Amino acid sequence: MIKPLWIPWRWWRRIIQLTLLVLFVWLFRRTELDSKAPLTGWEGVFFRMDPLAGAVAMTAGRCFIALFWPALVLLVFTALLGRFFCGWICPLGTLLDYFHALTRPLSRRTNSLVRRSIPTRVRKPVRFARYVILAACLLGAVLSYPLLGYVDPFALLTRGLAFAGDPTWYKSVDASFNAAQWKWGTDTLQPFFQKHLLPFREGQFYLAGASALILGAIFALELIGRRLWCRDLCPLGAMVGLIGHFPFIRRTPGKVCKNCNHCAHICRMGAHGPDHAGGVSSATCNLCMDCVDECPQAIIKFGFKRPKVSNATVDISRRGLIAAAVVGGAIPALAKTVGGGDGKAAARLLRPPGAVDEKKFLSLCVRCGLCMKVCPTNVLQPSALEAGVEGMFSPHLTPRLVFEQTYCEQNCTLCGQVCPSGAIGHLLPEVKRKTVIGKAYFDHKLCLPWAKGVACIRCEEMCPLEDKAIKIQKEYDALDENGQTVLIQQPRVDRNLCVGCGICESNCPVNTKDNIIQGPAGICVFRADAADPGMEFLKDNPPTFNAAPASQPATSQPAGASSKPATRKKE
Amino acid sequence: MDRRDFLKQVAVWSTGAAVAPMFDIRSIVAAEAAAAAKAQTVLSVMKGKDIAAMVAKAVEALGGISAFVKKDSRVVIKPNIGWDRKPEQAGNTNPEVVKAVVKLALDAGAKQVMVFDRTCNEARLTYVSSGIQAAVESVKDPRVQCIMIDMKKDAKKFVPVDIKDGKSINKFDFYASALENECDCYINVPVAKHHKSAILTMGLKNVMGVIGGNRADIHKSIHERIADLNLVVRPKLTILDATRILLRNGPQGGKMEDVKECDTIIASADTVAVDAYATRLFDKKPEDVGAIAAAKALGLGESDLSKVKVVEA
Repeated sequence: MIKPLWIPWRWWRRIIQLTLLVLFVWLFRRTELDSKAPLTGWEGVFFRMDPLAGAVAMTAGRCFIALFWPALVLLVFTALLGRFFCGWICPLGTLLDYFHALTRPLSRRTNSLVRRSIPTRVRKPVRFARYVILAACLLGAVLSYPLLGYVDPFALLTRGLAFAGDPTWYKSVDASFNAAQWKWGTDTLQPFFQKHLLPFREGQFYLAGASALILGAIFALELIGRRLWCRDLCPLGAMVGLIGHFPFIRRTPGKVCKNCNHCAHICRMGAHGPDHAGGVSSATCNLCMDCVDECPQAIIKFGFKRPKVSNATVDISRRGLIAAAVVGGAIPALAKTVGGGDGKAAARLLRPPGAVDEKKFLSLCVRCGLCMKVCPTNVLQPSALEAGVEGMFSPHLTPRLVFEQTYCEQNCTLCGQVCPSGAIGHLLPEVKRKTVIGKAYFDHKLCLPWAKGVACIRCEEMCPLEDKAIKIQKEYDALDENGQTVLIQQPRVDRNLCVGCGICESNCPVNTKDNIIQGPAGICVFRADAADPGMEFLKDNPPTFNAAPASQPATSQPAGASSKPATRKKE
Repeated sequence: MDRRDFLKQVAVWSTGAAVAPMFDIRSIVAAEAAAAAKAQTVLSVMKGKDIAAMVAKAVEALGGISAFVKKDSRVVIKPNIGWDRKPEQAGNTNPEVVKAVVKLALDAGAKQVMVFDRTCNEARLTYVSSGIQAAVESVKDPRVQCIMIDMKKDAKKFVPVDIKDGKSINKFDFYASALENECDCYINVPVAKHHKSAILTMGLKNVMGVIGGNRADIHKSIHERIADLNLVVRPKLTILDATRILLRNGPQGGKMEDVKECDTIIASADTVAVDAYATRLFDKKPEDVGAIAAAKALGLGESDLSKVKVVEA
């Protein structure tokens, strides 16, 4: 038996769980633009130690990704020690344990209710669900139809926190301070909160409700059975369970004592007892060490010694595993025949700067949501079904979500820095400035100088390129509603220069009122590989509205350049 | 000069003469300058490399900082911190100019000095890359604050203001700290840049950094609307940074070929005069910039440089 230092094993486990949860939360908090403290580069480390994410990304992307080296380390330790990851490391598992501690009186009631009402023959197939889900992820990856984003525990946790948890946290803290009007609070406590505990501003995300619901459902399952998600549904748990099913460290005795049954009763994973023919399943046991400390006879030990009665290692038979693989594999196979997975994206589905090509992007992206969390302008948003079922939760740019704010910052490379799998490249700022996200097109039906003869070249002002991609195609004098002569400049896009950052679209005054977006802009960014949307139909014949009379003396005109005759440049 | 002006000058002179022996001989100079300013717009133009000294001399020529910043007053210093650009790219006000103005205001005994702008790019990036946040923080004085404006977080700090005499707009949102209720002395510290729709952006256009709402709407009639906004925010002092100016691809720039080292500081109590004079740096005339003509028509200042007393050094 391996003896712990100073304190019992389960106290070590609790300390490590808490430490890693604090690390997870701290990294999550730090996943933000802070010009004074650049990113550590470890923001995605929990995803990089996720062997399932690594396996799926590498299989689907048909490439080796060295960024996943922590997953390899984890795999080696799992093979040696067993499924310790779920009990000691996983932040979702830790949170579920804390949630259970908080809701113990409630869950005791619901637990027994469910146990009484659901017969064993229903419970048994549910336990195999995790193998079906795992098979669906892995075989989906073989078919380049990634489904991991729906089920990976880190992705579900991070997205739930980033899209729903963080904005709610910000809003509630802010509202509390505003409501309290407490002098010391607003002067001392609020700056502390803003500096260390809150995001810079309240983010706004699509699919926030869906992400919150999924994460909420996982926690709700905890009321039905302890670690129900981990033991019955989590594909990552299934994977590390299978890899660590034959560890060096085993429990003795290998069976539950018939007259006591206490360890089977308290086991959070249900690794002992009736589900495993009275044995202990090492593919399920997460080495929480509760049974060691709670055994009334104090005979349970974990060590290198093999138990006399052999443990039931895996809770699934070979036949069951094949059945799970067939059922699981059928999901992506069917989905792929129905449609999707062809790597074709909608014209407006703008991927982050430095993203690999669409098909590979969907394969490599683990849907962790970190790029959207870190994006300082909130322009990166999760896709719903724009990229097909397999593209759910993948990031894309929405320049017109919040007025004047949502566009890709020219010098910002944060999304590539946090991406755990390399789906978004880690670009140098000088490379990023030239990286094409899309191409902008004017909508001649909406653009003010084109459609209405109203002066406005806000897009030209905002264009961040050294050599601006918005040029003036035609200039002429016109009379405004007050009879004043104004210079109308009709802009065009030089698409050889445009990188598609979207600042023109987000700042366009068309269809906005009081900083609220009410419709499409007069200039829109489309994917670089998309066909010309055909919105620039007036290109060869720019219209002129209310032209000022030519007799007007040039000196009375407010704009000096306006005395020039109208010029027209051809594209 | 009418009788009222004469009596005022007599009062100023006699107070200056009576108080001067007790304090500093400079107050006489200040009073003299203040009296002269009543009669004629004074504009100071300083050339050189030592930015702090140029700023100090430019303000001295207008009567010294104490003519503008009273003891225990609340001062707002409004540079252009619009773009995620480095100081040498001339997209924002030179941080050394901002720092020099901050120091002047502190030396004059200001109770509180606030430096802010509503940025066009993300504020966290812009405040750092412009070098202005670091420059202001390097002063290390608890009275001075560099404040970031976030349209989402600070929405409540923008208040609607009626623009009674506005030609093109009658109402707009303004940042409360920049308005008279919360600020005793507003010092405008713009940078001179090219701008495609406004022709040039200088002192008058710099007011767009303290307005809320939809700034894109200003562009529909940009010259008149900039002038209208200046009816609300009336700087006590405008110090134009022309140490580096942007000749093309403004207002952001980015290319070093578009930047011209001008080594000039232009200051006056009259923003219109400052802008009118600065058009020369771009080989333009005041009439070329619509906002200057519109502001003059509203009586905001003097754009005819022959009527302005220019102090050069």
